[in-house]
Amino acid sequence: MTDAVLLEINEKIATLTINRPDARNAMSIEILDAMHEAVDSLRDSDTSVLVITGAGRAFCAGMDLKAVLIELSGDATMGSRLLKSLAELTLKIRALDQVTIASVNGAAIGGGCGLTCVCDVTISHADAKLGFPEVDLGLCPAVIAPWVVKKLGGGVARAAMLRGGVMSGTQAFAMGLVDHLADDRDRLAALTNEVAERLASGGPKALSVTKSLLNTIDGSLDETVVMKGAELSARVLATPEAQAALAARMKG
Amino acid sequence: MIKHERHGDISIIALDRAEKRNAMLPEMLDELKVAIDESADARAVVLVGEGKTFCAGFDLKACAADSSGETMRALLSGLSACVVAMRECPAPVVLGVHGAAVAGGCALLGGADVVIADKNAKLGYPVVKIGVSPAVSSPFMLASMRAGVVRSLLLDTELIDGSRALELGMVHEIVETADQVREHAIGIAESIAIKQGDGCFVTKRWLNEICEVTPEVARQGLDASLSLTGGEEERERLAALWG
Repeated sequence: MTDAVLLEINEKIATLTINRPDARNAMSIEILDAMHEAVDSLRDSDTSVLVITGAGRAFCAGMDLKAVLIELSGDATMGSRLLKSLAELTLKIRALDQVTIASVNGAAIGGGCGLTCVCDVTISHADAKLGFPEVDLGLCPAVIAPWVVKKLGGGVARAAMLRGGVMSGTQAFAMGLVDHLADDRDRLAALTNEVAERLASGGPKALSVTKSLLNTIDGSLDETVVMKGAELSARVLATPEAQAALAARMKG
Repeated sequence: MIKHERHGDISIIALDRAEKRNAMLPEMLDELKVAIDESADARAVVLVGEGKTFCAGFDLKACAADSSGETMRALLSGLSACVVAMRECPAPVVLGVHGAAVAGGCALLGGADVVIADKNAKLGYPVVKIGVSPAVSSPFMLASMRAGVVRSLLLDTELIDGSRALELGMVHEIVETADQVREHAIGIAESIAIKQGDGCFVTKRWLNEICEVTPEVARQGLDASLSLTGGEEERERLAALWG
């Protein structure tokens, strides 16, 4: 495994840290491959809780814009490869036996915010930034929309994704995107430990059976809709309008 | 009874029967449906009400005066058609509730993409009181809100205020006073309309697909409401309102 993500196991609690702080932990193929590998390795582990967090100031800034901007990467297939990999990763995380926690230390944007919605519990702090600004760039968050809808309910998810922009941790807490809120960034680690310990104190079988049932009831195991969402996101991303908006964003 | 203006890419539709608190008549809902359908090429749609309140629901005096039940039937069908049209409209629909959105007025929220209200606005579905079933609204509410909340709101005649509606996810943002609602709703529509490309349109279509209200389910809701129309319970309770 590269150091693109760090996986640390401390008794019942595994912590996966996205480790690309100089790029605000944006999802490149390298990051996504490393996340797949880390999540796969948990299947045989003796852990019952997985915490996902980011190194440095950001949690995850979303898709790596440099990789999906065709004029920069020179690879027109990269966008759809990244989105397909993200879709498969979200399905994999959702299907884990472990209870998953997103510990949102800083910006969780677009796909990064979608990643929090896949997790069972989201913890953040008042000054974090979360949101779905895809539509502001003419993009479509279809790949993560099914998870956002499951987390927030159709109506709130609809308003959040169609309005775009980002919100503070406090606003995200009021909306139901965040389940536990620390007053500030310095207190996030302690709150995350407290919640993770509490979750890990539950019977591992009771936790996984419950999670599995919830996944069955809410249709989380339906791969079709998430994979179709990835294709739709990729289709919009490849349009000249979206590419031009991304190029302008990179320059601006 | 409907005011429809076009401001550039934004379609602004207002319920315009202020002297009756925008109470709905069948012709008014026909006009509303036309205005929504005519907004198909807009980049954002605003739906608000003129006068003191957004909408008081069906015009019950007109319903009570028509013992055949035809007026009530036309209102229920017209309301369902308007909610479906709002959902099917390609552009996001921003709905602004000022003062009150009661019964049929509150049902319009089911078709909207973004709902704002003033914090003291009164919202709810107190229609079982008059022997009417709000089943017509239930498919759209279940697609957007928590099922437990939907149950309690549709079966209970209590009205909730804008602040509580925000907590329940029925409203997505609140403003302090009723007179700020229209301007704020238009501001949100403007911010949506200026977004680049067609990301919003594709996203709305995708959300409609993954939170689908099939025509069959919408029809079931309408049929359940229609099944009581013209019946004894409804007639007696409507008549008692004016007794």
